[in-house]
Amino acid sequence: MTSCPACLRPLGQADLLALAEHLGDEAEASEPAHVRWLNQNLTRKKVPAAELLPGLERVYDLGSGTLKEWIKARFISKFFGPVPHPFVTALQHPSRATLLGYVVEHQHFLRQWVRSCAYIMARTDEPKVILYELDNLTTEYGGPGPGRVAHYELLLRMGESLGVDRSRVLTTPPLPSTREGVEGWNDIATRQHWVAALAAMHSLELIANRNLVQDGASVHYFDPSILSGSEIPDAAKNFLREGYEADVTHSDEALDLVTEFGSRPDLREEVQSTFLRSIDLFDDYLLARLERAAEFEA
Amino acid sequence: MKRNYTGCAICDSTWGNVWAEVEGERLFFCCDICVTQFRRLVDRVKRETGWTSLDALDITGDRRGRTCVAASGRESLRFFIAFTPQGEIRSFGRLTG
Repeated sequence: MTSCPACLRPLGQADLLALAEHLGDEAEASEPAHVRWLNQNLTRKKVPAAELLPGLERVYDLGSGTLKEWIKARFISKFFGPVPHPFVTALQHPSRATLLGYVVEHQHFLRQWVRSCAYIMARTDEPKVILYELDNLTTEYGGPGPGRVAHYELLLRMGESLGVDRSRVLTTPPLPSTREGVEGWNDIATRQHWVAALAAMHSLELIANRNLVQDGASVHYFDPSILSGSEIPDAAKNFLREGYEADVTHSDEALDLVTEFGSRPDLREEVQSTFLRSIDLFDDYLLARLERAAEFEA
Repeated sequence: MKRNYTGCAICDSTWGNVWAEVEGERLFFCCDICVTQFRRLVDRVKRETGWTSLDALDITGDRRGRTCVAASGRESLRFFIAFTPQGEIRSFGRLTG
């Protein structure tokens, strides 16, 4: 099923022309998400729908690669291109304000993360997907066991090490882009096929995948030297190190599952569009971390 | 106001169909978010400079950040500006040279 990468509306079976017409109609109505998608992915020049078709075919074409390779390439292009995402740039050698912006907004993200992964588990019949999600949720939220705490707890400890109590973090409402992201990912998890939700959520773990540089990323998520120096508190190192170590496996394993279960012709374009929608939400959410960071700047 | 863009006043896109009056002139925008961005930009430049109006605006860059040159009479201001997804100013800085 082809669906719209800006609003996820279903548009028919393998029907990129219907998608072109839909994008053109919505752009004519000045709908911001559709205009943005066209501007950023195809062209800023208004053209008839039929002229959008070759560009759409290029966007959705896997070439000789797999769905996993396609997702990685588009993720790298969006967040780790020659000009990386501004939050990635700020996190190379982060200020206290940048880390606190991360803490305050990310706790909302992680709470939605649990819901999204639980929906995927509830909606799949594949035992290996359930096992994957159980392991992921244990690392991210539940806690892997004695002496090892969850990523969520490490995040709150990072905030405390920088002088912000967890009660303040937990009672601060999300900024608009974080709220829109959380609502968008909830919609994806509840309404899209579970494989599409799997791709939408776990592709985001590519952000901290340290192997992306081998695949063409211009920089790492952060400069790895900050994990060994005295630039940031130990609690911040513990939080960043956890993602740095876990997200290679998390993202790679999930994208293997996406490739295995999502490459069917009747499903592939829904998976691709849902991933494209998710990375637009993520792009805005990362900016919300910077917006929040500005509140902590001296 | 003399501008280098012929499409949307903030991003030069020719998609969309929003017209809004800014600085006494009816301008084309691709969407409402770009209207907000443009208004915030003009207000910020006027606040930074004390100018009462802008005669020219030259914009380069993209959604990650835009480098602009604004002019009023014989004065000019070169600056960097970036916006939130809702169109508010996220970052602003004067540039030299």
